[in-house]
Amino acid sequence: MEVLLRQMRPGPDGAVEFQDTELSADALSVGSGPDCTIQLLGEGVAPRHATIRGGREQLSIICRRGRKVALNGKPVGSAAIQVGDLVEIGGNRLRRVEPPAGFDVAIEVEANTQVAASAFEQAFRTDLSATWLTKRSAAWVVGSLVLLLGLLVPYSSIAPQRAGRSIPAFLPSDQFWTAGTLIPAHELAAGKRCGSCHEQLFGHVRDAACKDCHKAIADHVEDSKLHQTSLGEKQRCAECHREHHESPAGLIIRDDQLCTDCHAKSDSKFGPLKVQPVSAFSPSPAHPAFTVSLVKPRATRGEAPGVTENGAVRVDWQVRREPIASAREQSNLMFSHAQHLDPTHVTRTDDGGALGCADCHTPEPDGEHFVPVTMQRSCGTAGCHELRFDPRAPQMPHGNPRDAILLIQDYFVRRAVDPNKPLATLERRRLPDEDVQQESPCAGPSFQCALQRAQTEIESQFKTRGCGGCHNVIDTHNNDLSARFQVWPVRLTRDYFPDVRFSHQLHAVQKDKSGDAACLSCHAVKKSDSSADVFVPDLPKCLECHSERLQTDRVTLQCSSCHTYHPKTIIGRLREAEVQ
Amino acid sequence: MIHQSILRYRGARYAWWALGLIVLSAALYSTQGGRQQPGGGTWQGYVLGSVGALLIVWLTLLGVRKRRYSSRLGSVQGWTSAHIWLGMALVVVATLHCAGRFGWNVHTLAYAFMCAVIGSGIFGLYVYLLSPREVSANNTGLSRAALFAELFELDRKGRELARACDPMVNVAVKSSIERTTIGGGVFAQLLGSDRSLYMRADTAVAAGRGAVVIANRDQEAVIADVGRRVPQASRRTEAANLQAMMVLLCRRQAVLRRIRNDIRLYAWLRLWLYIHVPLTFALLIALIVHILTSFMYW
Repeated sequence: MEVLLRQMRPGPDGAVEFQDTELSADALSVGSGPDCTIQLLGEGVAPRHATIRGGREQLSIICRRGRKVALNGKPVGSAAIQVGDLVEIGGNRLRRVEPPAGFDVAIEVEANTQVAASAFEQAFRTDLSATWLTKRSAAWVVGSLVLLLGLLVPYSSIAPQRAGRSIPAFLPSDQFWTAGTLIPAHELAAGKRCGSCHEQLFGHVRDAACKDCHKAIADHVEDSKLHQTSLGEKQRCAECHREHHESPAGLIIRDDQLCTDCHAKSDSKFGPLKVQPVSAFSPSPAHPAFTVSLVKPRATRGEAPGVTENGAVRVDWQVRREPIASAREQSNLMFSHAQHLDPTHVTRTDDGGALGCADCHTPEPDGEHFVPVTMQRSCGTAGCHELRFDPRAPQMPHGNPRDAILLIQDYFVRRAVDPNKPLATLERRRLPDEDVQQESPCAGPSFQCALQRAQTEIESQFKTRGCGGCHNVIDTHNNDLSARFQVWPVRLTRDYFPDVRFSHQLHAVQKDKSGDAACLSCHAVKKSDSSADVFVPDLPKCLECHSERLQTDRVTLQCSSCHTYHPKTIIGRLREAEVQ
Repeated sequence: MIHQSILRYRGARYAWWALGLIVLSAALYSTQGGRQQPGGGTWQGYVLGSVGALLIVWLTLLGVRKRRYSSRLGSVQGWTSAHIWLGMALVVVATLHCAGRFGWNVHTLAYAFMCAVIGSGIFGLYVYLLSPREVSANNTGLSRAALFAELFELDRKGRELARACDPMVNVAVKSSIERTTIGGGVFAQLLGSDRSLYMRADTAVAAGRGAVVIANRDQEAVIADVGRRVPQASRRTEAANLQAMMVLLCRRQAVLRRIRNDIRLYAWLRLWLYIHVPLTFALLIALIVHILTSFMYW
């Protein structure tokens, strides 16, 4: 539209002066802002107050929200302006007049001449509070977003997740509340569902949630004994095992104080349980001398030692803990370490070298234990201890005296009736455990002679040359030769410290020692002639190399380096129960 | 200086308080370890967290205290000094509380809001340290209202003088007065930008179309326009009017510069509050969520 703006103001002489401005625009902005088409100053005039739009036929004024003008004295937000209408804004007067030729609209503008300086300042936005920036709205928006995305949305995700339904990935779930990442194993088990462990809101994680997976774990103090102590209520798993600490190391407490807090005050804490006090890994009495668990025959009560009515040997084994200083093995095996390690007495059959520890003792994969020493695996290999009384005879069965006796009898009887029997037996080669003996002459029937020779050999094997070399043999004088000899069962202690962790693998190299020297530095077996000797070193030996504190030339040990909080024996028992 | 008195209020009493709080917190933190890794879940962590949370609530109360003029709970100056120093100490307390462990979770979100609030506060402190000097150098002791009053008077005189001049000068000067922009939006205030316009009538006449509105940044265009006419004045009175107009326009230019600079400085002085206050509110919400969820999944 073509607009004629006529600005009217009183001149110095009092007469009204006109100033015409021609405009060609679709709309005219009205306000105190200097960029408005019609700039008006005055109280209550907003920088952008209203807009005049339309044309010759229909002209209207539309105020901004919250703003008003007076149309012919009546306040309006928006209205049509007819020719002759008067619009007042903050003391300024706009009157629509009949446009001259060539114009669609003509407006006379009579500005307010009594404008105060303060009103003048208000025409401009001179403070940030007059812009879109707001503190209150922004606070509500940001605060609401935090409340919504940080609490309400995650909270609403709990129920669907517990019902097995998944929630959209773009929405924050209750994982947004996590205090830190889980260890990978727990992450895998929980499947990123907090409810797997946190079963109830505002409640601690219950032990049952842990034992869903950790079924074989045992308590440090058995429930049956806990009431005898002054340790108080049973602790929850999570009181020690704090998850969300981002590293597996943080999940298990290794601080010595965990142990010494109670064990240093053993009397007051454990009372009638008589637990030895431990305050540090230092010489006794700070740390008690070691006790070993030995497998020993239980003492018999008035019965014939170990022999049952049917002639079999019965030994009731038990595990007994004894101080190392006075500990004696009762394995029923006769063995001399000194003899076996003396190259003048015993050498390897293959290269003639001296026997070493590893020739008989094979480490298990756990690095802690050794494969149990057995006749077949350790003694009978490489032709050291063959169970053969004659080179032409088969190997005698080990561990079954009756079968061995029958085999000897069978051998001699077979030889007696064998038409291709060799003329002499002098070709027998000497075996380590055997003396060369000549067969005694026999004048009787061949069968009787064979039985006689067999009996001689059987008695020799069981009493002097064979079994008797290593085993305690009982001669029951039974008329039935096959049941006459019984051998005391042998049971070697496999683990002297079943509750303690010790890595032989880590100790295979010590300072300047390795190999057998490393073994012998702890196990003084070279002068031992008796299998009753216990070669496990005691506390002072450990303290030669270890210390509880950081110390030059010492390897630091913590309680948890050797001891486990959750008893291994109970774990083992539970595992066995599971297997069964 | 006001800012000095805030920081050094009563011999920097609260700086020592803040230092003491940091030392105590560090000492408490150092007692962790051993049985449990340091973190918010130990008893030391709970203590540090509680201290931090109470500190946040107390720091927020400055906004309340400022509005209670009749309050006898210490002076606002003292509260502000303590607010600044203890607010900065809060970073240490909160970091020790969480033992420096962060992740993509609501707890770190609360920490991030806290850092943003403290960061914006430090920025506010920085501008408070610099701005007073610049403000007083800019307005030479006059208030902004006085500057506007002067401008208003100059505008009135300009309009009157313009009527005595050539119509084209009249249009140019009057339009330059009416289309002077001061302040404006957020960026216009912060940058002190000037989008003033004026109507150059002679160009319009030459081109045979209405008046043309052209840029008049820093009033340079209108001053140049009027200045160009001074040598062309055919009458002495016209030349005198134009000379007087030049003086008036230049004076107006100087006042406008001061006003714009004043608006710019005050915008920067108050900008941080538009971050500080909303984030403080968000921090309070995040803190509540942090505490609530910590106990929800205990």
